[in-house]
Amino acid sequence: MRWLSGFRSGAFRFALFLALVFGAGAALLLAVVERSISRYAVEATDGGLKSEAAILQGEDREGGRSNLLQAIALHRRAGGEEAFRYQLTDRRGRLLVNDIGTSNAKIGWGEVEVLDDPQDAGARPEMLKSLGVPMPEGGVLVVATDTYDVQELRRGLDRFTLFAGVFITLFVLAGGYLLGGLFMRRLDRVNVAIGRVMAGNVAERLPTIGISREFDLLSSNLNAMLDRIGALMEGLRQVTTDIAHDLRTPLTRLRQQLEATREANSIDHYTAGIDVAVLQTDQILAIFRALLRIGTLEGGDGRQYFRPVNLSEVIGHVVAAHQPVAEDDGKALLAEHEPGLVVAGDAELLTQMLTNLIDNAIRHTPAGSLIVSKLERMDDSVIATISDDGPGVPAGERVNVLSRFYRLDRSRHLPGTGLGMSLAAAIAGLHHARIDLLDNSPGLRVRITFPKSPPALEHSASPSKNQAD
Amino acid sequence: MKLLLLEDDDATRVHLERTLVAAGYVVDVCSDGRHAIALGSINEYAVLIFDRMVPGIDGLGVLKALRAAGVRSPALFLTAIDGVHDRVEGLDAGADDYLVKPFAAIELIARVNALLRRRPATDVMTALRVADLEIDLIKRSVKRAGQQILLQAQEFKLLEYLMRHAGEIVTRSMLLENVWSFHFDPQTNIIESHMSRLRSKVDRGFDRELIHTIRGSGYSLDALA
Repeated sequence: MRWLSGFRSGAFRFALFLALVFGAGAALLLAVVERSISRYAVEATDGGLKSEAAILQGEDREGGRSNLLQAIALHRRAGGEEAFRYQLTDRRGRLLVNDIGTSNAKIGWGEVEVLDDPQDAGARPEMLKSLGVPMPEGGVLVVATDTYDVQELRRGLDRFTLFAGVFITLFVLAGGYLLGGLFMRRLDRVNVAIGRVMAGNVAERLPTIGISREFDLLSSNLNAMLDRIGALMEGLRQVTTDIAHDLRTPLTRLRQQLEATREANSIDHYTAGIDVAVLQTDQILAIFRALLRIGTLEGGDGRQYFRPVNLSEVIGHVVAAHQPVAEDDGKALLAEHEPGLVVAGDAELLTQMLTNLIDNAIRHTPAGSLIVSKLERMDDSVIATISDDGPGVPAGERVNVLSRFYRLDRSRHLPGTGLGMSLAAAIAGLHHARIDLLDNSPGLRVRITFPKSPPALEHSASPSKNQAD
Repeated sequence: MKLLLLEDDDATRVHLERTLVAAGYVVDVCSDGRHAIALGSINEYAVLIFDRMVPGIDGLGVLKALRAAGVRSPALFLTAIDGVHDRVEGLDAGADDYLVKPFAAIELIARVNALLRRRPATDVMTALRVADLEIDLIKRSVKRAGQQILLQAQEFKLLEYLMRHAGEIVTRSMLLENVWSFHFDPQTNIIESHMSRLRSKVDRGFDRELIHTIRGSGYSLDALA
């Protein structure tokens, strides 16, 4: 029934509405044409009758009755088939000329009915238009002419109007039906795809609708929305799994600690055991807090608070805070910061991101390493780079480093939640900044590229694009 | 010193009350916003401690109402909401400090102490002095026993904060927030590294140590300890 369902579609209703409007317009146009043509024809007839009557009045006035009769005969002959018909009544009411039949000696406009052939009973009576005028020599002259041509013209126009109206309406209805069917079929494909998404196939994407750019933009925006929802769901699933798996280890440790403390045989052991348990609890809470924050950031929350941030100041502050830390660890932390570079963002989150990156570099390099924090402007974008000359990250594992709880085998023994880099990546993502892990040969180079200008939303960007082409 | 504590969770409220009473404070407790507004407008409290999320009028609303009624006592928000902007929102509502749950008892006491000793903003100080250690806040210079000590900018800020809170315990998170403006735990040794440098400059070579580590809670600059 998909084909017939075109009648239900909005496109069909739209076409029907258009057909009504179009039909009304056409009817109006045809009516105006019909009226003006018939008025013209009527005026031509009336004019003919008037001038004929005037001419014959003149003949009567100037040449007398005999001249008039001659003129009538002459006109009758000259006119042939199309001739006027005459009826002349004299002063005493005698019919001198009678082409009409029934006596109708009346002054002014009128209509008379004549039978062309009185012998033919089936013949239709003919309506004549007549004009009666008083004659100078007395009596009344009635000039009449048939209006058959005018009526025929009007009938023809009426037929044409009706035919054209019906044809236009059918044409528009058929067009609307086809268009509606087209829409329905295109949209049905989209609806089927949406149905599959709702049924749980979250990887399904909508086909392009393909009727016009607006519809394609709609389906691509819907797909972008599905991508976003998919990413959020994946993030949520990831967080749930991470919590389930990665909190199990510290919770198990905490439980063991508490059990061991219960067996303690002195107050000192008790206190020490509880202190350890409190530390372990804090560690678990820190993981929770980081996971929640990553979740919120990946949800895009916080962009509404963005304002211009002097990144040079922020990174300078973070580096200054960590220089003694690096030094105590036997590493050097150098700053090469271009002053006055501003990005749109959240100063506190950017501080946290840079802290995590620098902390990571300090944590995962051997003593004697050189860590360089660089901030520069390149091609109008602000780029922050934290590089070290430590062991680096194998090319194949660089993407994993940004995911939650991922730890290289060689750093499993080091303290840390395993969330620092993914938190940094989430903050970069919130700022629409690109985070790249590169080979510093030797070592790791983490590069954050901030967008050139604050990215605009799709819908606010597209109208100007449309206007441009 | 009388404090007002608004907290709707019974176990937490009892625990906090016990903690504050043990620290020597008199505490009025309540568990809903209306009650807190009533108490806060009748009595004069040294510090207001409000849980942000309570049924009815929440902590934010209570504080706004009290501030509108002219209550100037310092306020501390306790909250389980840890969003970056919740703190800003809390401070905008008139809170003076913001503590994210869960927290150590000592953290609460340290912050309440800090709020109690806070000087009014009108009281501008140009110099601070503890025992033979003095800092000039205008020239940004430090002297101990008349001997000039050169400090890095961050070390100076750290010492200034410790001296402003001389005799009190300052916790790690208080230092992170007030000296470095880090409102998150960087899980690094920032404080330890700076503190060891500061100590080597301020305390080394003098017979009496002024900066003390309070195990499990933080630091204190104290001439008497």
